[in-house]
Amino acid sequence: MKYRKTKMEIIKQKHIIMKKQKIILVILSVLLVQVITGCQQGQRQEATDLLSDSFKDNELRLNDAMIREMISSVPNPLEITSVLQKTGVVYSQDLLNPAGNINNYNTNFQRALNLGVYGTDLIYMNIYDRTVATLRYLSNIRELASDLRVEQFFDYNTLNRLSESSKNVDSVLFITNTGFDRMTRYLIDQGRSNIAILISAGTWIESLYIATHAQTTPANKEIINKRIGEQKKVLDNLLLLMNSYDHNSDFNHLIEDLKSLKKQFDNVTITYQYAEPSIKESDGMLVVVDNSRSIVDISDETIKNITREIALLRNRVIE
Amino acid sequence: MSEKILKALMQLFAIIARQDVGLSSRERDFVEGFLKQQLSEIAVSEYLNLFDDYVAHDGKSSEEKDRTEVKLTSVKDSVKTLGIAKKINRTLTQKQKVVVIVRLLELINSDKNFTPQRMAIIDTTAEVFNISRQEYKAISCFVIRDKSEELDIPEILISQSHTTSNINAHFIHTPYLDGKIIILRVQSVDLYFVKYTGKSELFINGLPLKTNRIYNFATGSVIKQPTGKPVFYTDVAAKFISDTAETNIFFKVENVDYTFSNGVKGLENINLFESSGKMVAIMGSSGSGKTTLLNVLSGIENPSNGKVIINNTNLHSEKKKVKEIIGYIPQDDLLIEELTVYENLYYSAMLVFRDQKPSHIADKVDNILTSLGLFQIKDLKVGNLMNKKISGGQRKRLNIGLELIREPSVLFVDEPTSGLSSRDSENVMELLRELTLRGKLIFVVIHQPSSEIFKMFDKVIILDEGGVQIYYGNPVEASIYFKKIDNQINSDVGECPKCGNVNPESIFNIIESQIVDEYGKSTGTRKVQPYEWAKHFESFFKPEAIKKSIPKLPETFVKQGWFRQASIYFRRDLNSKLSNKQYILLNFLEAPVLAFLLAYIIRYINDPESGVYIFRENANIMPYMFICTIVALFTGMIVSAEEIFKDRKILRRESFLNLSRSSYLLSKMSILFMISAIQALLFIWVGNNVLGIKGMYFEYWIIFFSVSALANVIGLNISSAFNSAVTIYIIIPFLIIPQMVLTGAMFSFDRINYNLGGGREKVPLIAEIMPSRWAFEALVVNQFINNDYEKYFFDLRKLESNLNFKNVYYIPELKGYIETYKSKLHAEEQNPISDKDIQLLQNEILKENNSFLAQYHQITFENTELIKPESFNHQTAKEILVYLNKLESFYRENFNKINQQIDRQISEMVNSPEKRNKYQQWYDQHYNSHLATFVKNTYAPLPLIRLGNTLVQKIDPIYLNPTSRHLLDFRTHFLAPNKNLAGRPIPTFYFNLAILWLFSVLAYIALYYDLLKKFLLLFKKREVTIQTSKKQK
Repeated sequence: MKYRKTKMEIIKQKHIIMKKQKIILVILSVLLVQVITGCQQGQRQEATDLLSDSFKDNELRLNDAMIREMISSVPNPLEITSVLQKTGVVYSQDLLNPAGNINNYNTNFQRALNLGVYGTDLIYMNIYDRTVATLRYLSNIRELASDLRVEQFFDYNTLNRLSESSKNVDSVLFITNTGFDRMTRYLIDQGRSNIAILISAGTWIESLYIATHAQTTPANKEIINKRIGEQKKVLDNLLLLMNSYDHNSDFNHLIEDLKSLKKQFDNVTITYQYAEPSIKESDGMLVVVDNSRSIVDISDETIKNITREIALLRNRVIE
Repeated sequence: MSEKILKALMQLFAIIARQDVGLSSRERDFVEGFLKQQLSEIAVSEYLNLFDDYVAHDGKSSEEKDRTEVKLTSVKDSVKTLGIAKKINRTLTQKQKVVVIVRLLELINSDKNFTPQRMAIIDTTAEVFNISRQEYKAISCFVIRDKSEELDIPEILISQSHTTSNINAHFIHTPYLDGKIIILRVQSVDLYFVKYTGKSELFINGLPLKTNRIYNFATGSVIKQPTGKPVFYTDVAAKFISDTAETNIFFKVENVDYTFSNGVKGLENINLFESSGKMVAIMGSSGSGKTTLLNVLSGIENPSNGKVIINNTNLHSEKKKVKEIIGYIPQDDLLIEELTVYENLYYSAMLVFRDQKPSHIADKVDNILTSLGLFQIKDLKVGNLMNKKISGGQRKRLNIGLELIREPSVLFVDEPTSGLSSRDSENVMELLRELTLRGKLIFVVIHQPSSEIFKMFDKVIILDEGGVQIYYGNPVEASIYFKKIDNQINSDVGECPKCGNVNPESIFNIIESQIVDEYGKSTGTRKVQPYEWAKHFESFFKPEAIKKSIPKLPETFVKQGWFRQASIYFRRDLNSKLSNKQYILLNFLEAPVLAFLLAYIIRYINDPESGVYIFRENANIMPYMFICTIVALFTGMIVSAEEIFKDRKILRRESFLNLSRSSYLLSKMSILFMISAIQALLFIWVGNNVLGIKGMYFEYWIIFFSVSALANVIGLNISSAFNSAVTIYIIIPFLIIPQMVLTGAMFSFDRINYNLGGGREKVPLIAEIMPSRWAFEALVVNQFINNDYEKYFFDLRKLESNLNFKNVYYIPELKGYIETYKSKLHAEEQNPISDKDIQLLQNEILKENNSFLAQYHQITFENTELIKPESFNHQTAKEILVYLNKLESFYRENFNKINQQIDRQISEMVNSPEKRNKYQQWYDQHYNSHLATFVKNTYAPLPLIRLGNTLVQKIDPIYLNPTSRHLLDFRTHFLAPNKNLAGRPIPTFYFNLAILWLFSVLAYIALYYDLLKKFLLLFKKREVTIQTSKKQK
């Protein structure tokens, strides 16, 4: 009996082994198919196809030199935010574009705009010595720049090292600021002015947003409001720059938003008063002083409207 | 003797006794004596009464009609006899019937009254019993005759002190014996009977052997006499069988020396000559080289001098020819502990016999089990020594059974009785002794045998320290020999005159006796040094000459074919593994549990406030792949590291079977592969699911499995090369830790020791030989390139990256050299550009001319031969600059194109909130940002570096097509998207997979030829030679 049982077991095992062999066979054939199809997948798109896939490049472009000049008229974030600091504006974390938003930026349009936004935020934070929190913003800037293929302007390792200590604030600010400047210039050189324009627009929008939302004393508010009013000219320039890309729907939306902002700025009047320049001694050297002034006339109502519009615009940008 | 035989006998006795002259007192005495011999006092009288009744039953009438009705009565009795005989025929076995006939004849013989009627009755009985005439004749001859001349037939053996002139009868010389011992063999039933004619007090199995009584000479019996050699069953049987079984093995050992690898002498000048049907003991104090001798004689070790010859074939130089006729039973167990007694034998038999059907083999196994007395326990698992399921004696017998089943002609047994009870020891030795009857030659290393066992041997070889042969001959005479040399009284008595015991210990007491100082304490110096014993021995020992012509080597069994062998091995192994539930459970739980623990621990959520796990943000995907690789290595190695080591004893035995090593290894590997495949499946399934790695199961599985499989083979290598479990487990970290370090995950290849190839263009050579690096790279590259998200963009992004690199870093770098040259030239410096820089420019421009992009831009620099130190001038520099500017603008424009194309594609994907959501989900589930950072080497300190006179790209390795210098140059930088094989790009995943299997094949070859072991031996030998040379100095 027992012997027969073992025999049965042997037969059973044979079956099991055969079954297993079948499974292995199936696996192997699957593997084979995979390998073959994999190879075919490997030859997906030839570089030729990609390169010859020309697209209509009939954009009416502005002259590069002009773009460069106009972009340079856009105040860099440092200019605006340092005014805020000097006028005793309290730092507010809530004004920043949350670092986690970076995940939402998938297109070059979004990336470029928000690179500008984060750049402003970074400088704003650094001016107020918030060095720890800057790390995430730094890495966001780095990431967006990398996605835009302009990572070479942000030596992440250096910035990272510098931002570890508040003593290095000036260096961080300097590197970031010059990084932005060099980047925009480079982009224009590379024929990617659209990206450069968007980055500048981003910095400007975020700066304006922070300036309009800053909390301070009425006297200081006065100074800030004056600076806000001065942005009228900048907005005109930005719109001018963007108009050449109005065939792009993203640009188009932004232009529309900027235009409605412009409507509010139309209520601002700037008068320019010319005065003879004079020569003054400073630190044992003679300096020419420009005595001309521009007088900005901006009502509280206008400020309110601008504040509302810019918030709408900015929140659409960062979403 | 059974009741049935007794009753039948009583009846027959009665009939015979009644005939003619009637019951004589002698006859009655015989019956009484016979019964006394068989039964207790009460039973004797009972049967005697029965006998008397039978006799008396017809007694009166027979006496009355004595004279007138002699014939009538005899006829009546004849009929009665016939009736009884027929009845007996139905109940008794043939063996018992033979016994009955013998007893009947013995009865008549008791008063020598051989009347025709009496004989006629016995004749009739014999005829009814179907006993052949010849055997019946032999039996009656044996019972009735006493004189040598009359007993000269081949069924008879005579043992006496002087030789006879008999031709047919067998003869055993027994000195000092009075009279003779006569033994009859009834071949058809394999029974032996003995009777003694002398007056000495003899004992059969401890019972007195009375003169002229016939005794059954059962298997294993021994007849002892007060002085002189006892007569063993085996000797007797051998005498009879030696006629039937021809001597077919001549085993000759000539001047064999053996030196250990450390230079110590193991054996010195061993000589012996043996032929089939002998059992030879190898004895000696511990450390005298018994086992060494056994190993040399069996061909496991090669002698350093001399030779071992079996029938004209040198055992060591022509091992293949004779290997299969040799069997070896080591001291240790050869059993597979997870298998049952039956299975152990069954698989062993299956490996050996080809032509026979499984059912046939099963019968054979059953037979062997019965003859070993193991049939009742055949379904018990053998277990191990710690966890005993069957007794030591049973284990030993089973071990012997493994060898018996294939019937080798020469059998070597190492200490078969160690650790066994005396009863078990005797059983085992009797089993071996019986084998000699079938013509086997058996060498047994034995330690402290009992007298019984000692006397079972035909010959004994005694070794002394240093492997010196100091005796070779009859065991009982050994005692006499040493006593004589030692000048002891009674030196001519080999064994105790009272009990017949030979004490082998006493021999060693003589050999090793030490000089005693004046206080009676031994001094530690031996009286007689080994070489002195050897001298004595040389003068005493005269080598036997070969008388007969040497026959051919006996035929061996026919082995199984390769595939059958493999399948038997496979089933044996699988069976033993499956029967170990703990092993199976642990092995299959290990992988998923580990995977769960690991994956759950590293299931990192970037934004703890949201609490939502996003695959894209998990920073631990790359480390997970690394751990996968290491776990695969570990589990693969652990599962296999002890496999061959565990089997090594069995393999050692099976090495005599000339079985195919590859079939063994491949069957082993296929089982291990199966285990690894399942482990891989469980690990990957659990791990990938917990971490949310989508749709890459197969790729992960095949890599994990391939690494495990390779680790299996590596593990087998170790387990075959090293000789202890501890060493094996110490070795494992040595194999794994370098693989961890050189995977490219923990330490960037850019940042390892430059001397080892760190920071170069390609993966360091030392890492190229690490399977882990290929596996890890395959996993990482595959995960990045072929995930559901990236695969849509990969080709575009690759092109974008290539163009960007050229545009942003590469061309400006080259331009930098020219511009420096120009400014230095302007400043009228002596050496505006170094030769090295010129070389670099030439190298790079040549490279650029041949780059895959060149076929699109068609911008080539024709006069590359001008870029040489001797011809480099202002003009060349100018031309290069023009060329570089052209390139730069091409790259810039096309970069912009590709960049915008990608952007357009993505823009389209996100141009509505629903689409954007979908895109985000798709992106989050398949793309891993941290892995991207890793494969793009985003944090590289420098995007490109100068190595010698070339520039090497360091960023975006995943997008960089490797360049190969020649067709066989398959080495690339780390994380290349594809590799070149004979100039054709092969996706890294498949290429690396192939490399892993190539490693496996190489490891298998190493395993097949046992290269690691040979390598280690080489090492050992060197060490030894160094040591000895030091000593000599």
